[in-house]
Amino acid sequence: MGYKFSKDEMAKIFAKLAQDYDVFAPVVKKGDGTFSDVDVVRYDQVTSLDEIEFNKKSDYSFKEALLPINETLFYFTEDETTVPKGPEKKRLIFLRSCDIHAVKRLDQIYLDNKFEDFYYKRTREMVRFVLMGCPNTCENGFCASMGTNETNQYDLYIKVNGDNAFVDVKNDEFTETFKNGALEDVKPDFVKENKVKVTLPKNITKETMSSELFKEYGSRCINCGRCNFVCPTCTCFSMQDIFYKDNEKVGERRRVWASCQVDGYTEIAGGHGFRNDNSDRMRFKVMHKIHDFEQRFGYQMCVGCGRCDDVCPEYISYSTLINKLAKECE
Amino acid sequence: MKNEYIPQLSEIKEVIKHTDLEYTFRMAFDGEVKPGQFFEISIPKYGEAPISVSGIADGLVDFTIRRVGKVTNEVFENYVGDKLFIRGPYGNGFDIENYKGKEIVIIGGGTGVSPMRGVIQHFAANPQDAVSTTVIAGFKSPEDVLFKADFEEWSKTINVIKTVDNAPEGYEGPVGMVTKYIPDLKFKDIENAVFICVGPPIMIKFTIMEIQKLGIKDEQIWTSYERKMCCGLGKCGHCKMGDKYVCLDGPVFNYTEAKELFD
Amino acid sequence: MSLDINTKKAKKNAWRISKERGIGASRIRVPGGYCDAEILGMVQQIAQEYGNGYVHLTTRQGFEIEGIHLEDMEEVNKKLQPIIDKVGINQYDEDKEKGYSASGTRNVSACIGNNVCPFANYNTSELARRIDKEIYPNDLHFKVACTGCSNDCAKVRMHDFGIIGMTMPQYDPSRCISCNACVKGCQSLSVGALRMENYKIVRDTEKCIGCGVCVTKCPTRAWTRSQKKYYKLTIMGRTGKKNPRLGKDFLVWADEDNIVKIIKNTYDFVEEYISPNAPARKEHIGYIIDRVGFEKFKEYALKDVELMPETIINNNVYWDGIHFDNKH
Repeated sequence: MGYKFSKDEMAKIFAKLAQDYDVFAPVVKKGDGTFSDVDVVRYDQVTSLDEIEFNKKSDYSFKEALLPINETLFYFTEDETTVPKGPEKKRLIFLRSCDIHAVKRLDQIYLDNKFEDFYYKRTREMVRFVLMGCPNTCENGFCASMGTNETNQYDLYIKVNGDNAFVDVKNDEFTETFKNGALEDVKPDFVKENKVKVTLPKNITKETMSSELFKEYGSRCINCGRCNFVCPTCTCFSMQDIFYKDNEKVGERRRVWASCQVDGYTEIAGGHGFRNDNSDRMRFKVMHKIHDFEQRFGYQMCVGCGRCDDVCPEYISYSTLINKLAKECE
Repeated sequence: MKNEYIPQLSEIKEVIKHTDLEYTFRMAFDGEVKPGQFFEISIPKYGEAPISVSGIADGLVDFTIRRVGKVTNEVFENYVGDKLFIRGPYGNGFDIENYKGKEIVIIGGGTGVSPMRGVIQHFAANPQDAVSTTVIAGFKSPEDVLFKADFEEWSKTINVIKTVDNAPEGYEGPVGMVTKYIPDLKFKDIENAVFICVGPPIMIKFTIMEIQKLGIKDEQIWTSYERKMCCGLGKCGHCKMGDKYVCLDGPVFNYTEAKELFD
Repeated sequence: MSLDINTKKAKKNAWRISKERGIGASRIRVPGGYCDAEILGMVQQIAQEYGNGYVHLTTRQGFEIEGIHLEDMEEVNKKLQPIIDKVGINQYDEDKEKGYSASGTRNVSACIGNNVCPFANYNTSELARRIDKEIYPNDLHFKVACTGCSNDCAKVRMHDFGIIGMTMPQYDPSRCISCNACVKGCQSLSVGALRMENYKIVRDTEKCIGCGVCVTKCPTRAWTRSQKKYYKLTIMGRTGKKNPRLGKDFLVWADEDNIVKIIKNTYDFVEEYISPNAPARKEHIGYIIDRVGFEKFKEYALKDVELMPETIINNNVYWDGIHFDNKH
């Protein structure tokens, strides 16, 4: 059901929402970018609509609002473990169509890859999604190529346009909150076409694995892992046991985001690593996104948000690599 | 719902020292376990590590641990009576049924023998379950040999070749890589042979090349992969190879699958 | 008619009396080395119309238009006016159309700064322009330079006042994924002030020079820059014939306003203590400090200066360097 509100009315409704829900949305962090006097857009908790960055795509995805960068799994003593409490409040996450498609990929791994993940599930059940429209394509995104440019898997759609706000309510949980708005036909803004177009390689074979492209791009990679950390579909983590300094028998076990490009990712006890060469790491990442995941779950992993291309300090363009690979596979 | 990440306390019943670096922890565990499966074991001052089951008995499970990294200086013998956090078992493990009635060759390198120990034990105790059972186990040197007592016991009922890569002069016993002994293997019916080989990646590679020279088909070969398995639950991603998660779909793979997997 | 020129006045008017009789050069200052490209066209025009068609890009980031006949000085000064206006150089009202009002205080130079450079911690040319506005015109011999980070590409340690950009690294452990990129970066590119302890980073605050390498290396924004900009003020570096030496740290983790204040205060110090025998009232400030003592300098320099609590001040500064004026 669609509604129209004045911006002021919307501000009041939002203040109410922020009381009932923890609201996470992209926010401009002044000066927090990689370089001096450069901003970064990333997710944080907000209490008013004005704090939300609706125009620029977030540099880091919504993922951290659902899957903390550092998460304590439990505290331990010599013979006991204590699991920290999960979120107490329901959670609203503002995100775009590509990212809503990414949620499905996170769910796939954390809820439906044999085991259910206790921590992910207890947060996920509390989350409602607010779609942000994309009136125009972003710089490096290729959502249309990946079929992620449109979605109906949202609970709310909110658009602020000048002095008005438009809302589409899909989840009855919010009907009461928005019922006083003027009825209006609200259709989300979806991108129809991107500047970047990607053709996925067909006929991936064993020969594809040894493509020179992986060597070339691998040689340019500096293993910083930024592509993984900004990616809304990367789900890897490492376990860390922290033994408290003043009592080494007490501590906590955490899981922390990990990257298949960063050193140590495949290293087993004793120091043996399985992908020491950068070209192997590049191949591993790319193949996961465009092949392995699809083989296992029946649909593509990459949602084409383009953040990896936005962030790479070495200007490695994943989308260009894919297109080149597709040509090779023809 | 069950929180799979929460480990349970398990008492260390016995610690068996094999070499200066390798120990077997015999621990309390009640539940179904198959050889080749693994547990996530919380090692004090180190953290969780995936350790394959090297032995199964009633209410007991063995883990053979090579101490590396941060735990190098721990005195493991002192741990008897202590409790460690463990969770598992994870992974598919070896299915004994696949090997019954076959001419079995089990080839292991170093700690690679651990995950197969349960399989060997079964056929050593029940030799009639197979047409024949041969174990070829390779270690770096006589000092690195694991499960010494086992080998003596096993050699009573099955063929055992325990070889070392290098040995000081005067060493009595086979010397050389495990691959050296493959060409001499004799079979009644080569179609009925099965091979299980586990060890360091390089050893597996050359062993399988040698096995294939005998005319053994891929589906007759089994292996188990050791990868970094942080969670054991198909979540952390570290053990993914191709479209498989070693912790969920393995660590035991038939070679028809294994040969398609790339690191 | 023979040339009759007041060379002392001409020099203060930013003209060079060249080695070739009757020929001079016009020295154009560009604070921070940052200007509208339109200036280049204006310089070109003067060089081609009055000079020999060549321009020297000076070591202090100005232009020196060569080969100008000294009798054209007045006319060229008129042509300089739009350049002076566009660059935004202070000028006494009575000097309009008459060139630069002073030349002793040298152009404030700067590295390219954070407009462009990924390492820089602040907008160097902006600060250079601010300082120029505050101290110019003045004929006392002051050299000031701004550099974006401790790499010191602007070689500020060879200046009376060197301003090195710093950032106070802000660490959010909840965003840190223990990748070690900052530790490796600090080790290989900087001072090795970081280490990992219990999977999180510990910063040795004594060692840290605020270069910001950790921030640029961090893939997750666990490290960010402080909102406040910090500076290191190095003092009394110099080149020269007697005792060249590198500037030493006076203030660390200092703020912009106090640094500007200290530079201005130092003009009062020099006015008071410059040697009466200084040729053309040009004496390196460092020599004056050597003569009257660091305490006296500090007394002047720190007048009305209230440092931030985090600012570290070196209460005694000793310099070394090569001595050509004695037999040390």
